[in-house]
Amino acid sequence: MLNKKKALSLTAGLVLAGAVLAGCGSDKKAESAADGGGNSTSAPAASSTEFTFYYTGSQNVDDLWKTLIPMFEAKNPDIKVNPVYVASGTAAQPTYDKIMAAKQAGKGSGGVDLYESSIDDVTKGKNDDLWDSLSAGPIANLNNVDQQTMKDVSNLAVPYRSSAVVLAYNSDKVTAPPQTLDELYDWIRANPEKFAYNDPSTGGSGSSFVITSIYKFLPEEAIHNSDPSIESQWTQGFDLLKDLGKYVYGKGIYPKKNQGTLDLLASGEVDMIPAWSDMVLDQIAKGQLPASTKMQQVTPGFNGGPTYLMVPKLSDKKDAVYKFLDFTLSPEAQAEVVNKMQGFPGIKLSNMPQDIQDSFKGVSEGYRTFSLGDLGKDINQRWQSEVAAQ
Amino acid sequence: MSRQAKRGLLGISLVLPSFLILVFIVVLPIIGSLKESLTNDGGGYDLSNYKFLFTDKLMRSNIIFTLEITVISSLLVLAISYVLAVYMRFNNGFAVRWIRRMYMIPIFIPTVITTYGLMQLLGNHGWAARILYHLGQDSLPRIIYDMKGIIIANLWFNIPFTTMLLGSALSSVPDSVIESAKDVGAGRLRIFWRLILPLTYKTLLVAVTFVFMGVIGSFTAPYLVGPNAPQMLGVSMEQVFGVFQDRQLAAALAFFTFLLCSFIGYFYVLSMIKEEGMRRS
Repeated sequence: MLNKKKALSLTAGLVLAGAVLAGCGSDKKAESAADGGGNSTSAPAASSTEFTFYYTGSQNVDDLWKTLIPMFEAKNPDIKVNPVYVASGTAAQPTYDKIMAAKQAGKGSGGVDLYESSIDDVTKGKNDDLWDSLSAGPIANLNNVDQQTMKDVSNLAVPYRSSAVVLAYNSDKVTAPPQTLDELYDWIRANPEKFAYNDPSTGGSGSSFVITSIYKFLPEEAIHNSDPSIESQWTQGFDLLKDLGKYVYGKGIYPKKNQGTLDLLASGEVDMIPAWSDMVLDQIAKGQLPASTKMQQVTPGFNGGPTYLMVPKLSDKKDAVYKFLDFTLSPEAQAEVVNKMQGFPGIKLSNMPQDIQDSFKGVSEGYRTFSLGDLGKDINQRWQSEVAAQ
Repeated sequence: MSRQAKRGLLGISLVLPSFLILVFIVVLPIIGSLKESLTNDGGGYDLSNYKFLFTDKLMRSNIIFTLEITVISSLLVLAISYVLAVYMRFNNGFAVRWIRRMYMIPIFIPTVITTYGLMQLLGNHGWAARILYHLGQDSLPRIIYDMKGIIIANLWFNIPFTTMLLGSALSSVPDSVIESAKDVGAGRLRIFWRLILPLTYKTLLVAVTFVFMGVIGSFTAPYLVGPNAPQMLGVSMEQVFGVFQDRQLAAALAFFTFLLCSFIGYFYVLSMIKEEGMRRS
């Protein structure tokens, strides 16, 4: 008797669950139908192309594209951009792997039609023959870009904006900021717990501090070497970082992400941090950082450089992507890069409006471009076990 | 077909969907990650990843750190929740009414927001430090970027639900039983140890399972308020998988965490089986 009852209630439960699931299913169908309907009304040309754009970075990068993409779509109603934002630091690598795996499996570009990343991925993709060679033919505005930069990447990528890691400091507390790396280390030792850099695996500014400190002891040209044999020369740099551990914020606390250290600077817990220039300028403008925050580049410089857009060779929507790239390099879009995220424009300054040209007066190109390939991974791993866990 | 066979078939067909879901969503991935975790750099199979897990200084301290936090958090959560639940069950008044209204609120606040809130509150220059400063206290002990921060976050996340679980178990303890015990002269402590605790013991076990598993697999709070090293296993797993891209080692870590959880699950299942056995006999 009891069993029958149990069976009955079970069936009832199953039927109920089924009904709920079916409900979900039909909802989805209705949604996609509505989507389709929406598309057909807004784009009667029916020749609408949609391409997928993977980009990575901090929130400001996401905000920038969320501004630029609607601007582009308004001008090109037949093209739809499907943006995929991948959070910075940890999650970018899988996108490259995805493109690579799709190529090896003979499945085109793996659904990625445009990819934004750093110089490391441009170089890696050059060796793996992943990127499409770009020319000023379909992308007229490519002529606005510094041709030397294009030559450096063999025309495989578009440098659409630049940024550099600098020292950001509280000018109320620090009157004479360090000018060189050695002065910086002296400052850190002389002002215990007043300097912080973020966990290098979680954001570029901390990573830059770590890499710059390690490569300080290596010859200048080593920063373009991605051969693992160089790792044996890192020891001196790691010893320096281990020693600095006692003097940094909290005697060895490394906040997570680029924003982690910026928060500490904003709350006054530290007086100096390495940070991305665009993030600092942006947050001073928004009042998130006190107006007394100033920036200083040291020599030899922290790393920096352009961020690149790459088109996978096997993408089948290149025409639409070219149009988008052309728009991205237009002075109008580049003005957003400057105004929205305080980045350096990717095109030559002479192509920008006069007021923007003026605002960049005196911003020297003090940064260095590092291309270490996969070595960055090993640096992070070694940093975690030697510096963080000392 | 005999009636017996028909009923058997019905039973199987009713169990089949959940069984299949279990196989595809739980069992196969576990086997997959076990296989992955046993793969070494050369592509062969051995225990090198597990060996690394227990011999590497960093990994070992991560494991010990995780277990410490999990055990301390679980004990604290259980103790506080139980006291709160007992208080709400056997008292009635202004305070109880307000606790009853308020104690569930943390469930509705997203984890990330809570974590940032805690950082604002307990950080070096946070609210707590500022208030203490005005009261003449100079410095707050380090809470954020420390084990204490993670434990406080765990308390916040787990107490409401555990209190709810224990509260419902306590409300099913009949008043009549307690009153009759009082009538024959049992003291308060005796009633607690002999009646209330045994009657709610099973729910306590369920609660400890939930808290233990929730804490051991937690990520957001340990990532944001935890120290850089040692890390909790969830954070370490993310780093090993996402940053170092050592998938085999990440799989080994995941499988080890699964083993820890199933260790606690074992006691839970054992007591359930015992219970079933008692009911049948």
